[in-house]
Amino acid sequence: MSLIFRPKHIFGETFLSLKRNFLMGFTAITTVAITLFIVGVFSIIVYDVQGVLNSIEGQVEIAVYLKDNISNDLKGYLENEIKGWSEVDSVTYVSKDQALEKFKTQNEGSDILKEIQGNPLPASFEIRLKDPQKVEQIALRFVDKDGKSIDGVDEVIYGKSYIRNLFSITAVTGTITLLIIIILLLATMVLIYNTIRLSIYARRKEIEVMKLVGATNWYVRTPFLFEGFFEGFMGAGIAVLLLYFLNKFLFIKGETAIAETMHIKNLAILGSNNIILIAYFGIIVIGGLIGIFSSGIALRRYLKV
Amino acid sequence: MNMIEFRNVSKIYENDTAALKDINLVIKKGEFVFLVGPSGSGKSTFIKLLIKEISATSGTIFIAGRNVCNLKSSRIPQLRRNIGCIFQDYKLLSDRTVFENIAFALEVIGKPNYIIKAQVPQVLKLVGLYNRMDSYPHQLSGGEQQRVCIARAFANRPPILLADEPTGNLDPATSEGIMKLLSRINIIGTTVVMATHERSIVNAMRKRVVELEQGLIIRDQKRGVYGS
Ligand SMILES: Nc1ncnc2c1ncn2[C@@H]1O[C@H](COP(=O)(O)OP(=O)(O)O)[C@@H](O)[C@H]1O
Ligand SMILES: [Mg+2]
Repeated sequence: MSLIFRPKHIFGETFLSLKRNFLMGFTAITTVAITLFIVGVFSIIVYDVQGVLNSIEGQVEIAVYLKDNISNDLKGYLENEIKGWSEVDSVTYVSKDQALEKFKTQNEGSDILKEIQGNPLPASFEIRLKDPQKVEQIALRFVDKDGKSIDGVDEVIYGKSYIRNLFSITAVTGTITLLIIIILLLATMVLIYNTIRLSIYARRKEIEVMKLVGATNWYVRTPFLFEGFFEGFMGAGIAVLLLYFLNKFLFIKGETAIAETMHIKNLAILGSNNIILIAYFGIIVIGGLIGIFSSGIALRRYLKV
Repeated sequence: MNMIEFRNVSKIYENDTAALKDINLVIKKGEFVFLVGPSGSGKSTFIKLLIKEISATSGTIFIAGRNVCNLKSSRIPQLRRNIGCIFQDYKLLSDRTVFENIAFALEVIGKPNYIIKAQVPQVLKLVGLYNRMDSYPHQLSGGEQQRVCIARAFANRPPILLADEPTGNLDPATSEGIMKLLSRINIIGTTVVMATHERSIVNAMRKRVVELEQGLIIRDQKRGVYGS
């Protein structure tokens, strides 16, 4: 039957309501837009920062430079020892020759090569970790109590605590932003809830007559649910539009710079995973759901059927 | 056939007011029944129980043989489509014309447009307001507004019509017109239950009278008058 879907009934009522309560509806839609815009900006930034961090993490390693006079036995013992540590992802042995070769390719055409006599470069173990935050802890295993390197080891080099700081800073900013988003989402829901409450109040006489003559509960509810959905949906639409322009004129420039300097491929906008389209779509869905949900709560409270 | 049956029905409101006490009553199809009694005797409660605006505290109510006390809330709309209801305060929508008020009631129960277009003028003719269908409620007299209310209640041709003090706001001459209209609706087969405390109306009609006092039936008379 045409009971549930009566376009005139549903759309007409929503339009009338928005006209009647323009300021409330406008406020609700604006708040949804601001909230979801922030959600969008945050998501893109988090995604890209994560990409950058992952790339830095991939580069984090400990270089253990060996003394030239190290015995093969000790070298083999050290290699096996390091491989046995659970925090270690991989160990690569770089011989003196390989080190020189690498140095030459890195400094090709430079005057410095002419000044090198023989092979001054040490052999080394390059260690990659599963969890880059453990870098300091592992590096310290090559140093004894007095701060001197252990037998056979000349020097240990590693990225110090700046990495750890980077991690904790992003974690704190992330938590704060998340809190702000939650508060904004709650505010959004309260605002939509209120517009629906007013709509129910404005139409209380019609609702009374509807119930009296035997309209179904869904028939009475649907226009209000749609009104909530519409407000969430409109706000989300505005947020997506704003985000689109922000991406087009600002974020894409940032990503281009990141991509060129750090060779990171998987970025939100430039990447091939369509992350940005998923974000747009997600925002629209969240907007609509928030609208329906808030309106549903208002109906439970103010429309006893 | 029993159209309405109350079996040991009591209604006690949340504040412990016993509005109806152990009511037993049978109303047959096509009957016209006056529910009389002073203000506060339980007349409105009786009517609200029938449309399940409220639920009985104990006892059973049958409408057309069906127990409506254990009706699921999703079935209540169907019950109400079979019971027309009119009130002292008409409950018309002030921003809609007479036609639209009646059309609204049919629209919200899913009647298609072509049926609405046919039924509304028909029922307006029945209540004598065919030429006022484009007026707004505030342009009508009290009697005319009550006729619109009757038209709306009867547009879907329900087998039962309930009236709660429908003449409460009307002068005697106008009330007489409303009573004639209700009689006509009754004569074509509709069961009518009318709550009132107006002596002259009851006495003029000589219909069955059920008298309530403090929630109890103190009299049930075939062709009664108000007060013996
Ligand atoms: N919603 C309610 N809550 C509490 N008491 C009520 C309510 N409605 C009616 N009553 C009480 O129930 C009794 C019967 O009321 P009612 O059925 O309205 O009588 P009548 O229609 O005959 O005037 C009265 O004492 C009234 O105060
Ligand atoms: Mg009453």
